[in-house]
Amino acid sequence: MELEGELRPMCCPGCSAVARMIAGSGLESFYRQRTAFSQRPDEHTTAAAHFAIYDDPQLASTFCESDAQGLQHAAILVGGITCAACTWLIEQALTSTPGVERAQVNLGRSRLDVTFDPEQLRISDMFSRLDQLGYRPLPFEESTRREQARREYSQDLRRLGVAGLGMMQVGMFAIALHAGDIQGMDARYESLLRWVSLPVAAFVVVYSARPFFTAAWRHLRVGALVMDLPVALAIGLALLASAWATLRGTGQVYFDSVVMFTFFLLLGRFVEKRVRERAEPNWQNFQRQLPDAVKVKRGDQWSSVPRIAVREGDELLVRSGEMVPIDARISSGSSSIREDAFTGESLPRAVCGGDVIYAGTLNLEGVLQARALGGVHNSRLATLQNLVDSPLVEKPQLVRLADRVASWFVAGMLLVASLTAVWWYLQAPGQAFWVVLSVLVISCPCALALATPAALSGAAGALQRNGVLVRGENSLESLTRCTHLIFDKTGTLTRGRLALARVSVLETGSGEADVRSICATLQHHSSHPIAGAFAHDIADNGMTDIRQLPGAGMEGRHGNAVYRMGNAAFCRELAPAFPDAPDEDLIWVALCRDTTPLAWLGLADEVRPEAAAVVSAAKQQGLTVELLTGDSSGTGPTLARELDIAKCSSGQSPEDKLAHISSLQARGAIVCMVGDGVNDGPVLRRADASFAVAGASDLARAQADFILLGGNLHAILHTFALARRCRRIIKQNIGWALIYNVCAIPLAAMGMVPPWIAAIGMSTSSLLVVGNSLRLTRASATKD
Amino acid sequence: MESLYLLIPIALVFCVVAIKLLLWAISSGQYDDLDKEAWRILADDNVRKKPSVPDKDEPS
Repeated sequence: MELEGELRPMCCPGCSAVARMIAGSGLESFYRQRTAFSQRPDEHTTAAAHFAIYDDPQLASTFCESDAQGLQHAAILVGGITCAACTWLIEQALTSTPGVERAQVNLGRSRLDVTFDPEQLRISDMFSRLDQLGYRPLPFEESTRREQARREYSQDLRRLGVAGLGMMQVGMFAIALHAGDIQGMDARYESLLRWVSLPVAAFVVVYSARPFFTAAWRHLRVGALVMDLPVALAIGLALLASAWATLRGTGQVYFDSVVMFTFFLLLGRFVEKRVRERAEPNWQNFQRQLPDAVKVKRGDQWSSVPRIAVREGDELLVRSGEMVPIDARISSGSSSIREDAFTGESLPRAVCGGDVIYAGTLNLEGVLQARALGGVHNSRLATLQNLVDSPLVEKPQLVRLADRVASWFVAGMLLVASLTAVWWYLQAPGQAFWVVLSVLVISCPCALALATPAALSGAAGALQRNGVLVRGENSLESLTRCTHLIFDKTGTLTRGRLALARVSVLETGSGEADVRSICATLQHHSSHPIAGAFAHDIADNGMTDIRQLPGAGMEGRHGNAVYRMGNAAFCRELAPAFPDAPDEDLIWVALCRDTTPLAWLGLADEVRPEAAAVVSAAKQQGLTVELLTGDSSGTGPTLARELDIAKCSSGQSPEDKLAHISSLQARGAIVCMVGDGVNDGPVLRRADASFAVAGASDLARAQADFILLGGNLHAILHTFALARRCRRIIKQNIGWALIYNVCAIPLAAMGMVPPWIAAIGMSTSSLLVVGNSLRLTRASATKD
Repeated sequence: MESLYLLIPIALVFCVVAIKLLLWAISSGQYDDLDKEAWRILADDNVRKKPSVPDKDEPS
């Protein structure tokens, strides 16, 4: 049973079924997260003095790092980022501050990376600047990130709940009022209903709709127009006008529209945010996975020092099973190093004195002494991480359908409103105010603002039930315009673990089963990935003195006979007559007993059974399929031939992959990438849409737009199909919202729309949009 | 129709109580894990419970 990419033993088939069900719906990470939360008192001290604690060098060093030029790199967690426009705002505001070299915000992780000169700017000043902008800065740390997310979640839920209850209450009064409009109603009851609606609606606006006002104001102050502005204007004006009408006892009230609008918009955002947050992995800084303490030779003594204190030329000790903490050149010892993270190659690399080993790779066999090649920040891993975080790999922005429509809409609405105002002011000044107001309320972009989030969260919900988590904001839309589908090899099209493909028995008299049992016995003592291929074979227990010889293979003794399993040279030391490996593109391992050659064992990375079907289906849909692998052996092209993929590039470094995708995009292609490894991180980020397969590395998951939870690649095709349906729905939604506005605004401008028609029209158009979006979830549920 | 003057304030009081209850429930952590509840019946034996969530296993 595999849980989060780790094999876990299960006691019985029943437990295994439950665990599979939980894992299949993405709940596994859920359970892990729950225990990490702790209560924290509310802090409302926003004075600069509060941030002064971060100037303490000890504390600052936990989230700041200095480089050779004396600049500081700080990672700051920023609360309150709601959209891409916020990241723009923060970056602009900080870069214009003296002393700041560079500021970059990562929207998905709410993380701000600043490079600044500590001579010119104190950390506390930077924090107060962010605070003034209306965001909540914190040092970036795992637990604070989660704590903040939790607090925002519960705040959102409160707002949503209050808006929902308020909507029911105001809606109840509104039905009475509208019914009264039609059949006539005693003025005192009408005034009573208006007077009780007023406090409820006002409370909902003040409590629940506050985020729209703060966001609109925040952007307005720096001269940016966002969708929140017309939303805030509509809510604010409608409430004020209704309150005025209530006080005066004349005019029209729109309390129900205000509250309903607030509720629907909050609901849309809440669901969308929650779906994306759930898919947020815990990855934030790969360095945290590296060992913090490093054994370094100081004088004649080995002592543990913090990883940050390691300098170039320090002598390190890396024991077997440990992760290499820093890029280093081996001075003594030999071993094999598993570096699939960088290269995508499934077999470890044998290393000895003089070879370079990289931070983040795993030492499998021997003890190594090595000389550090530089600090943590110069390591290849840090380079990869910086590459992922740099704007170079930023997705090209495909303009969103809704945004394109929204900007025209806002301009048109303002134009119509001002024309109406002028016209009515000339004709009948007394009525001008009420008519303009009804134009603004009726044209309130409720359905338009809901069109996209409602459809997106519907699609994300449907996908999640099918084992696909959606992280990327814009990815479903990009997917529909995709032209290229690019696969990584190891771990994506293949399972990423070796399996026995061929056994070629050399000694007459022994069968395949005997050979496998000998192999299993020897390999049970090995940490090499080859051992995994024999994990399910029954070991025969008569063997003694089993040992692992780094870079060569395994050796064991059975009675007087010596068994060896490993590369050809290693076996030929005992059995000089060992024949050459069969001519087939597999990883061949030799097995001998004393001087007798026993067998050649051919191992291969197992191809996922559904890979061929998925590739051919994608081609039928008109996508260009490519294979892009870091593996430089012949298996890449072989696999491409097997799966009938026309174009295969092998031996690609992460930078090569990135360049490949960027050049495709430069030629106008819209690229979807499927990958799993750390080396796929940058491309997954850069691609217009990207998938991380089940068991992918955290770095890959953190960058991908879609995360597959099950091991089945068919989910990719399913996502494509759903994305297309989602786009159709968004178009229908926007179409409907526009038709409604086009019909209603002229009527309102002529002063012919009573409030009950306005309320019904607006609610119906919102409900239609939401209902239409819900078709995405329902259709997919019945299909399963 | 005079009863409206009594019934509507009563409705408002109910609404306030409902909001209070909701806010209390949210701040006591009952909504922290909305997805968990549906699965808890399957997982109550082999999964640790979150200590800060008050036990609210109602006999329903």
